[in-house]
Amino acid sequence: MRRFYLQHERAILGAVGIIAFLILWEGFARGWWAELLQPLLGPQAARLQLRPIFISSPTRIARAAFDMIFVTGAIWKDFGWSGLEFTLGVALALAIGIPLGLAAGWYRRLSYAVEPFLTALNATPQVAFLPLLILWVGTGLACRVLIIVLLAVLPIAIGAVAAVRTVDARLIRVARSFSANDALLFRSIILPSSVPFLLAGARLAVGRGMIGIVVGEIYGSAAGIGAMMNQAGSRFETDKVFVGVLAIAVAGVGLVEGLRRIERRVEAWRPQVAA
Amino acid sequence: MKLERYLIGGGTLLVFLLAWELCADSGAINPLLISSPSRIAEAGAAAMSDPDFWTDVRVSANEFILGYVAAIIVGVPLGLLLGTSRRLSYIFAPFVDTLNAVPRVALLPLLIIWFGIGIWSKVAVVFLGAVIPILIAALSGVNTNEARFVAMAKSFSASRTKIFLSIILPGTVPYIFTGLKYAAGRALLGVVVGELYASTAGVGRMIADAGNMFQTDTLFFGVLIFTASGLVVVAVLDRLERRFERWRPGVGAPT
Repeated sequence: MRRFYLQHERAILGAVGIIAFLILWEGFARGWWAELLQPLLGPQAARLQLRPIFISSPTRIARAAFDMIFVTGAIWKDFGWSGLEFTLGVALALAIGIPLGLAAGWYRRLSYAVEPFLTALNATPQVAFLPLLILWVGTGLACRVLIIVLLAVLPIAIGAVAAVRTVDARLIRVARSFSANDALLFRSIILPSSVPFLLAGARLAVGRGMIGIVVGEIYGSAAGIGAMMNQAGSRFETDKVFVGVLAIAVAGVGLVEGLRRIERRVEAWRPQVAA
Repeated sequence: MKLERYLIGGGTLLVFLLAWELCADSGAINPLLISSPSRIAEAGAAAMSDPDFWTDVRVSANEFILGYVAAIIVGVPLGLLLGTSRRLSYIFAPFVDTLNAVPRVALLPLLIIWFGIGIWSKVAVVFLGAVIPILIAALSGVNTNEARFVAMAKSFSASRTKIFLSIILPGTVPYIFTGLKYAAGRALLGVVVGELYASTAGVGRMIADAGNMFQTDTLFFGVLIFTASGLVVVAVLDRLERRFERWRPGVGAPT
């Protein structure tokens, strides 16, 4: 028994924490704690019952999720829209960020030229451009794709610059002394050694992309998970808002975990250096 | 070398601004859509003499400062605590991981229901955005502590408090500052999104209103305010970090 606990301590304590939290939450919504502490606190105890309209409750959220997934199926359409925006946005950000970053890492002068722009854009919360984007392209799909690009392109580009800068200079010197040209150098040294940096940038970009989905959709959009949450929130359907939050959490964890897998797979060939 | 960097950087920036101005003035692109540097400067000057603008700045600054400071006050001690107690960290891990996976701005519809559209819903979203990176940074700072130092201190029978104060805490400082810098970006993001979404005042509100009224110049000026605040916050944190790190002997190549 004790050995079992010690072996799985992490999972057991984590589960205990979650279950305690859920019971506490459900109790507030159903008034369990108000009833329980009635003799102790008197009329004050009624304060411990919170209206479900404010905090919802785990069972309500579960029921709403079940409805939205299996009964009405409403969530799939929103998932589809958000997924489309995310895919287009991140793909565009990769297509712009990687070549730009690699080039800026390799050509010193180019990096000097783009540096002021990257610094400024990096310091700005990029979502501040959202009203401008709406002026330019309206509130449709294009606007949400562009805000995701704007958010996601920087970590990708910065990762790519770092990738080129940290290439082992000895490898390049060896290749050069065997008169390798730039194209060969790029293909056989720079690209393979930059993969970890590019993937790290991509992982950051996934997080930024999720922010882009939410922000683009809660601000003037009719479709997608964020729009669903916005509408539910303005109708005080707290349980649906929570379903949206959970859906985003699941998607985010899934994507990051997927990227980690790819990272491990791509990195399998690399000889271990550290202990 | 350094001169070249500034020349090329400044030159490109200048060319960009000139091209922008020319495009707008010649009418090649409708100035209503892209404004122009001179128009933005004019709008900025007009805004600076408008008391409403300063109210907006004050509201946004309050939201940022209250949320960010609260995040530091909660995040640093909690991160250190979770870092030193393995069991506690196991209990809290699911919550921290979940919150970390959700963009906290997704909680805005809920925060509005809880705190209304005044300043406090924005303070809350800034706090939530900033507290998680700070907490995780402090936690990982403790976890990556040099085990040799702790073992050494123990063999000289140092107390737990002593070990914490003289080994663990100083070791986490660089991590905490990395977290603080990252969190500052998240906090600014919270201010902007919160104000765009639902608010009555603030620089984000000003940007949204300007967008609705096609005042592109005011809109750009508002964005520039956020850019400037982002740069200032990071510069201040860099300076603080250098101050705290001055005692540390340099490792690696001399710079």
